Amino acid sequence: MALVTVSAIFLRWLPHHGLPILALFTVAVTAAATIYLTQRRRYSTSSCGILQEKVNAEIVAVLWTAFAGVVLGILGIAVVLAS
Amino acid sequence: MSSDLTKGASPVPPSRGRIAERLLPDGTEPDPRFTLANERTFLAWIRTSLALLAGGIAIEAFTADLFLEPVRKGLAVLLLLLGMMLSAGSAARWLRVERSMRSKAPLPLPLIVPLLAAAGALAAAVVLVVILWR
Repeated sequence: MALVTVSAIFLRWLPHHGLPILALFTVAVTAAATIYLTQRRRYSTSSCGILQEKVNAEIVAVLWTAFAGVVLGILGIAVVLAS
Repeated sequence: MSSDLTKGASPVPPSRGRIAERLLPDGTEPDPRFTLANERTFLAWIRTSLALLAGGIAIEAFTADLFLEPVRKGLAVLLLLLGMMLSAGSAARWLRVERSMRSKAPLPLPLIVPLLAAAGALAAAVVLVVILWR
């Protein structure tokens, strides 16, 4: 939800920053869509894990989410310096 | 006969994946509630990071009449860098906490807290100086 909100904010400033801001919008929406589409599987895995008292840490999801944040930052700096 | 050999054998635990085996090699699985709580804390930090990223983009635009261009861009870059560092730092924090829980060691100090506080104070100080100087 936060990623969708942020992507809307990026789109809001399209007139000021121009088309390069669409790169940030694309990354944020892609990340949001990936999280949404995989959330049922993750919830199911977590629920079963709680019942069995053993949950594997979702390290790949954590790393990808953090990576998306870093990529958004790099793109954001590029957009700000270019505008 | 084959059924006698398999009788009583414990089931093979599901594989954790190569990356999990590499980054979380030691210790035992902690209480699942703690693992899920650690993930929730990570997501809370990510939300803060996203807010800083969005703020960095927005501040460069809507303070066009308030600040000179170098100050505006400097503030925007500062917020974006902070958002990036928070995103990476929260993943590092998640990993350190997960490793501590697996080895039943004390939890590490959250270094991103003083970092965020210092950077926020710096940004506020810059804005205050610019506003008072005008």
